[in-house]
Amino acid sequence: MQLLHLALKNVLRSRHRTWVTIAAMAFAGCIMIFYASLLQGWLRSMERNAVDMETGELQIHAPGFRQDPDLYNVIVDAKGVIKRASAAGFICAGRLLGSGLAAADENSTGVSIMGIDPGADDLVTRLHAHVQAGRWLSRKENNGVVIGSKLATILAVRPGSELVLVSQAADGSMANDLYTVRGVLQSVSREVDRGGLFMTAAAFRAFFVLPAGVHEIVLRRALRSESLTAATGRLRALFPNLEVKNWRQLQPTLARLLDLSNVSLVILLLITYAAVGMLTLNAMLMGVFERIPEFGVMKALGFSGSRLFGLIVLETVIQVAIGAALALVTGVPLALYFSVHPLDFSFLLRGSSTIAGIAFEPRWYCEVTGHSVLLPVLFLFGAALTAILYPAVKAAMIRPVAAIHHR
Amino acid sequence: MQNAPIVQLEKVSKVYQQGQVEVKAVDNFDLTVRAGEFSVLCGPSGSGKTTILNLIGALDAPSSGRVCLEGQNLAELNRGRLSRLRRDRIGFVFQFYNLIPVLTAFENAEFVLSLQNVPAAERRKRVMAVLREVGMADYVDRRPDELSGGQQQRIAIARAVVSEPAIVLADEPTANVDSAAADRILDLMAQLNREKGVTFLFSTHDQRVMDRARRLIRLRDGRLEADEHRDR
Repeated sequence: MQLLHLALKNVLRSRHRTWVTIAAMAFAGCIMIFYASLLQGWLRSMERNAVDMETGELQIHAPGFRQDPDLYNVIVDAKGVIKRASAAGFICAGRLLGSGLAAADENSTGVSIMGIDPGADDLVTRLHAHVQAGRWLSRKENNGVVIGSKLATILAVRPGSELVLVSQAADGSMANDLYTVRGVLQSVSREVDRGGLFMTAAAFRAFFVLPAGVHEIVLRRALRSESLTAATGRLRALFPNLEVKNWRQLQPTLARLLDLSNVSLVILLLITYAAVGMLTLNAMLMGVFERIPEFGVMKALGFSGSRLFGLIVLETVIQVAIGAALALVTGVPLALYFSVHPLDFSFLLRGSSTIAGIAFEPRWYCEVTGHSVLLPVLFLFGAALTAILYPAVKAAMIRPVAAIHHR
Repeated sequence: MQNAPIVQLEKVSKVYQQGQVEVKAVDNFDLTVRAGEFSVLCGPSGSGKTTILNLIGALDAPSSGRVCLEGQNLAELNRGRLSRLRRDRIGFVFQFYNLIPVLTAFENAEFVLSLQNVPAAERRKRVMAVLREVGMADYVDRRPDELSGGQQQRIAIARAVVSEPAIVLADEPTANVDSAAADRILDLMAQLNREKGVTFLFSTHDQRVMDRARRLIRLRDGRLEADEHRDR
């Protein structure tokens, strides 16, 4: 109690010294909270671009379809599967997949054709919110298509342009039709950018003469609290005769790349923490070393080394507590602000682009999580207490006569 | 009948290492200080005055010889016991006052009693009594940086005597105050010695302090040059 009183007096009455130290801690904490939230948001956006954009969190296929994407290999009772999956807590959308040749004027290229239900697909993926020119498909779109950004460049088309699709229909006939480009997507993934062509499921069925079934059901967990592995297991148990895979199994390279990015960002975060930690450390060390003569007098008057050690640690705890509180008061609102108003790097990166198959957004949002808030605070406490150990031990061990005459 | 010895130094030497050079600050020095003395260690700079005070005050350890306080050989005490000994039996008055800057005059004077866990009410009574004696009762809430040098030194004296130690060691107590303040401080210490029987041992080269001493211990090059007892 007596030690706490003395520590409080030292902290509260040495205003200049205290506020320099606390300001350094608060600034460091604020930066760490903001930076951790920004990186968290960036990682989340990378994962969202990789997963939510097109793949979905989970997919269901007819057995063998993934190895051999045959137009005839469909999930026959698609409605029944979607109904049961929805009842089990998943948001689902059916998709039809085919391939063909697209041509506009003198240009032509192979395309992956995807027939989707815009109403349902919009709830599972975010393709609809990723159009860079024109608009997304409407539910009753019979001759409109939306295409990938690179494909638009290859075919030299833009919204309003016409293109011809050619393929083989399910009944063996030659499928060909004229479509109008409704929209061009921003960068999504290498495959979608170069060859992705989206039309409504009804238009797909009409083009390919495929009256029933879907090739793929994409799903999203209604509640993210359930782990991806657990959700996959639950879905597999529900549909033992179908092939259920989550996005990590569907895109293992991408999953590894994201894991790697995660590790790199953690290292980057630690380097930043260390840099701002040094700022705090310097202020604290200066605060202790300039008081060595004062500590010498206290020891001369009978203040024991162990009590002196306790006093220095206690003062540090009080300062870090105030510094951490200020860091929370400033850092969290700052990160929350940037979770709504992104840092916009459009001037450096026009639109979104892909690196190693992952789309990068030019606008960076913060994501405030328990991790991004608590880790910096814990780091602040840990760094401060670790840093204070050496000067505290030194002050506790120093001979009074040396301390009193310390300059 | 002579009073009991409080301090005994037997063949004490203190050697400092300054780079490659050994400096003998105290050389084979013997001294006995008895209760109630008002003694002064004097001599030119570097004669070993402050070193001897540091050795007696358990702030430093001798290179050889024995330092005893109230019969207790300081070399036999561990850090904790030395710390308690300084707290309970020795009062210090430093050349630069060395008050704790964040504490008020009252809290500085109270500091040693707090360490001794003296109850708050008794602490207050004893501290106020001493502050009245040193003429600082009206400055209890002032912090050191709000006091003059002389006032700070009076608070330092209050801090040194409030716990009623066996001896007060005062290192150049008048070196950093003006003449009027120095006289007041010396009057105060002489009064405490006369009326309360507080034992004082000074280090100084201030003639005013030497003039008031009842015992003058002259040092040169770390050795005893003369030990004069005066009747006053």
